[in-house]
Amino acid sequence: MKRLLWLLALVIAGAGSWFLLSDRGGEIPYPGMGGDFTLQSVQGPVSLSDFRGKVVLIYFGYTSCPDICPTSLGALSAALKRLSPQEMERIQPIFISVDPERDTPQKMVEYVHYFHPKMIGLTGSLEQLKEIAGRYGAYFRKAEVEGSTLGYAVDHSSVIYIVNEQGVLVDMIHHSGSPKVILEHIRKALQGTS
Amino acid sequence: MRNPITAAALALLLTAPVFAGTAADDIHVMDPWAREVPPNMKTSAGFLTMMNKGSVDHKLVAAESPATGMVELHTHINDNGVMRMRPVKEMPIPAGGKTELKPGGLHLMLMKLKQPLKAGEKMPITLIFEDGSKKEIQAEVRRFDMMMKHDMKHDMHMKHDMQMKH
Repeated sequence: MKRLLWLLALVIAGAGSWFLLSDRGGEIPYPGMGGDFTLQSVQGPVSLSDFRGKVVLIYFGYTSCPDICPTSLGALSAALKRLSPQEMERIQPIFISVDPERDTPQKMVEYVHYFHPKMIGLTGSLEQLKEIAGRYGAYFRKAEVEGSTLGYAVDHSSVIYIVNEQGVLVDMIHHSGSPKVILEHIRKALQGTS
Repeated sequence: MRNPITAAALALLLTAPVFAGTAADDIHVMDPWAREVPPNMKTSAGFLTMMNKGSVDHKLVAAESPATGMVELHTHINDNGVMRMRPVKEMPIPAGGKTELKPGGLHLMLMKLKQPLKAGEKMPITLIFEDGSKKEIQAEVRRFDMMMKHDMKHDMHMKHDMQMKH
């Protein structure tokens, strides 16, 4: 039985590496994941489909997150600053708050602009956010923090999702990616080689 | 000094510091800094490295700052990519060792900021150790792109190293 499991693991690993190594032009890198959504910004509803023709960078977080979100958004911001104006023209960064109880679209404006003037802040109902985060593979859960004046924290994954000009999820940059790494991923998406 | 008890007590008082320094004496703090916050944000994080030059283990048990309403000791647990932030009761600093507070890990949670933290400013923070001894430090407020300089330096070193190998 154990041997069978190992064999199965080998087959899966083999298929995985074939998938990674093969030229997957036209193929979908994350089948069944990502996709369109509509959430609220300070200027009204915004849909992912509004940005066809642009590479969209999406980060799920919350504004009272003191360390993880500013680290990721700061690195993203530093990467964006190294892009040429022509490249930046084709980019749309989006911050989605998964803490609708504390973050209103109004409150998020100054927060996102602090990191980049082009970044927009979106949020919605908990149900909407759960559904969208689920499709992107982003995890978040409200966690009561005992003995803290914080009240609650939001446990969350820290990933920058890259959606290409056709609206397809093509890449993910995991937490602690340096500006240099993030820049490489963004340029790949701009060149259509993610 | 006629009273032998007073004399003994005085002698003990005078010699006690020689035998055991306070935790604050043993702990050396390096590179304390706090993160600048976006407008209207009331929460930030502070980071530093504590080196224990003494021969006994110490613990950081609390911190306070006149610039905040509350400072808590927190950590992050990276649970398969999910960041879970939790308070900790203490941060141990082993004898002869060091404890690093850095982004993504242990940090001082600076809450209820009384005014926005601006890059370049100094923020006073008092560290309180297990024996009640205190150490005041001045944390430099840094903006996210000031931290990124380290990253760029790192890139340059990498390039340099690569050239050296050729």
